[in-house]
Amino acid sequence: MKYFLLLFTFALLSACIEISDDLTLNNDGSGTLRYKINLSASKVKVNSILALDSLDGKPVPSKAQISAKINEFVRILDAQVGISNVLVEENYTDYIFKFSCDFSSVRNLQDGIKLSIAQISNDKYTSPAEQFWLSWDGNTLVRSIPAYITQQIKNYKLEDQEQLKTGIYTSIARFERPVASFENKLGSLSKNQLAVMVRTNTFDLKENQHLLDNTIVLTPR
Amino acid sequence: MSQQFKMIFSLVITSLTSITAQAQLISIQSEHLLPKDAVTVFSINNISLLQKISMDDLVNYEFMSEVHQELFDGSTSGKTLKDAGLDFNQRLNLFYGKTNTHELTGFTFGISDKKALFEVFDDFQVLESSIPGLEIYGTFFNQLLIKENEALLIRIEPTMEHIDAVTDSIWYARGNEMPFDFFEESPQEEQVLNEETYEDNPNSNLFPEATENPAVKNYYELRDSVQVILQQAELDRILDEIFVKGSNLYNFDPRFAAQLSHNAEGVFYLDNARNLDKSQGLWYFQTVLPSLYKDLQELYAGNVILGDLFLRENQVDFEVEAQYGPALGSIYAQMNDARFDQNVLAYIPATSPAYFTYNINLEQAYEQAYKVLLPLLSDEKNAQIAMNVLTLELLNEFINKDALFDTYKGSMFGTFNGIKKVKIKKIEYKYDENFVYEEFETETEADMPIFTMGFSTARADIPELVLKHMARLSSRIQHFDNYWRIDNAILDAAPLFILNTGKLLIFTNDEDLARLHPNGYGKLALSKKQCKIAKKSGFMYGSVDIPQTLDRFPTEVLTPRNAEIVSSLKGKSGQLELTSSDTDTKHTTFKLSYSFSGSESTGKHLLDLVNSLYLIYTLNP
Repeated sequence: MKYFLLLFTFALLSACIEISDDLTLNNDGSGTLRYKINLSASKVKVNSILALDSLDGKPVPSKAQISAKINEFVRILDAQVGISNVLVEENYTDYIFKFSCDFSSVRNLQDGIKLSIAQISNDKYTSPAEQFWLSWDGNTLVRSIPAYITQQIKNYKLEDQEQLKTGIYTSIARFERPVASFENKLGSLSKNQLAVMVRTNTFDLKENQHLLDNTIVLTPR
Repeated sequence: MSQQFKMIFSLVITSLTSITAQAQLISIQSEHLLPKDAVTVFSINNISLLQKISMDDLVNYEFMSEVHQELFDGSTSGKTLKDAGLDFNQRLNLFYGKTNTHELTGFTFGISDKKALFEVFDDFQVLESSIPGLEIYGTFFNQLLIKENEALLIRIEPTMEHIDAVTDSIWYARGNEMPFDFFEESPQEEQVLNEETYEDNPNSNLFPEATENPAVKNYYELRDSVQVILQQAELDRILDEIFVKGSNLYNFDPRFAAQLSHNAEGVFYLDNARNLDKSQGLWYFQTVLPSLYKDLQELYAGNVILGDLFLRENQVDFEVEAQYGPALGSIYAQMNDARFDQNVLAYIPATSPAYFTYNINLEQAYEQAYKVLLPLLSDEKNAQIAMNVLTLELLNEFINKDALFDTYKGSMFGTFNGIKKVKIKKIEYKYDENFVYEEFETETEADMPIFTMGFSTARADIPELVLKHMARLSSRIQHFDNYWRIDNAILDAAPLFILNTGKLLIFTNDEDLARLHPNGYGKLALSKKQCKIAKKSGFMYGSVDIPQTLDRFPTEVLTPRNAEIVSSLKGKSGQLELTSSDTDTKHTTFKLSYSFSGSESTGKHLLDLVNSLYLIYTLNP
């Protein structure tokens, strides 16, 4: 997990990051999670960091080490109950990382990620919190940003906060039937009424880690 | 080591902060207590410093907290630093030395009030002395030796190699088996042994276990005992040398004694020849190739660096003289016998925050080194060295040295031209009305430090030939009217520009230089005055504008130690300038000047530098 989180560290040091999570939820509770980190606007700084032996006194892994760790995570996650089709696209030219997986329930998804992170990480600090960040009862989705992501943003140095304002976090939830209502005032509804998107800059997310939390109610079946 | 330097800095600052001293002639008593094994000495002329350094700002420095912790140890609250009892009519001499078996550090100083001194050094216990007139005090790490009004504070550490060698010898002689289980499965991945891990493996066999018989020492207990005995034996030897035989660095090395006679605020001494002799890195030569090692020693004989530190109006000058023996001197003299290449000056903009020029004659240096070093290597009866000598001699015969050294003559220059915005490509996502995204490429700007480096050449046709053929192999290399461009050469994102002017081969990531100034900056280049200074400086010249250079440095990419050092210099006004003399067969002199404007005193700036040095020596990486 520390290698994943290193991507965040790179991103936060290099200011301009674009993160998006895109959750597609079927009526039966199964679905697909797509996660994307785009560092292409910061590739000069990312490359300069990767050229170093250490950063803030900690060793900087090579691209091969990062890739190996990502693939280990994929392999472990793919073996978890209720998780399938785990895919990762790594683009080390533009530094864009795309992750996706199918799940049979949001509980399986959260448990699977939590267990996979625990298996590849010895670092308590980066271990996921016990809390759940998704819940689904068939009609209502309650979601937040996972603590292991917001924690990284929260740890960003005070003096560099201006840079955070150039980063963007996008969170999308897609459904098989129309959305009846949603609570987050930053949210917008797609034209086909099947998706809700909330976006903010990473500075605001650091200030309020619940800024993108949302409760989405669907129309009855 | 860091503890020792803390102590040393504590004493330096103590000496700086006493205002009670009257200007008098400096006695040289405390110099007589310097061990002759000291290879590095920094001697402070207390009075000169005290005349010029303001003390009011001292408490804000990082090293000040250590002074209070180390010297006062919380037991003398309410007292000031000037109560330390030091004799400020004597010099304070900080030293570091290394023998083949021990390291020693410490300082010597004069005492005016012994009672006051021991209120500061309150952890020291009286120890028995077998030398008449010598008082010995000790703590766990340090020994304080006092004779009349002079004192030597010393720490002696046997090297780990020496301790291990002696311990192993005793351990095996007693019939013990190997103390470590090397064949136990060891962790494959690098990991920190935290409390939980340790508790999870209570039967871990990483360390030798305590023996059942408390009278029998295990390996580590034996090693601790060996360390103490070696430490004591070395201390006895040094005390005998200094206090019985009267042998010390001052009368051992006349160059050091002569240096102390200079009217400078500080004096620096580094005996490179003895440094080489004691270097652990050369153990291979010492053991496998002893005759070659002896030749190397002879080559380095007489190699010493002597320096004076002067505090002047708005300026701190550090003047250094590197002395060397005739063999090494002949190589340096030939290497530095190079005419200044004036062409480089046109490519250094007047606004450049940091730049250097370096003039050497590589061909002459090569010929002289070949003449001096090859006979040493040829005499060595070692198969690998013999093959290397043969290869070298064949290359010397077959290679067109004129073409090689005309292509790369050795002279060069470099500039840091600040940070500029460069255009890079990035990927963006555009969401449609149903939040389905589309990827597209767009341009953005990124901060890029702008560097230029150029080499003198008399064979511009050779790099041109290389570039021409490289361009046929890769579309990333393109030729334009006045320059070559290699795409994404810098950090996989920004282009590198190569200018081949016929006399200079210049590499830069500054597109403006390549496109707009291929023939130099003209009126925007260094002023005539700046050019004259650079030309007059022997084989090298350097200039750094501290606020413009260091304030822009991204400290997050440094180790904590380096980041602290850079941070400690940030926010300073000032200019660092390095000049050198011409080199002859005996010596080269260098001068590092730190000049600044504003109302801050010279002493304040000196303390800033002292603080930086303190951080260098004490912070853990």
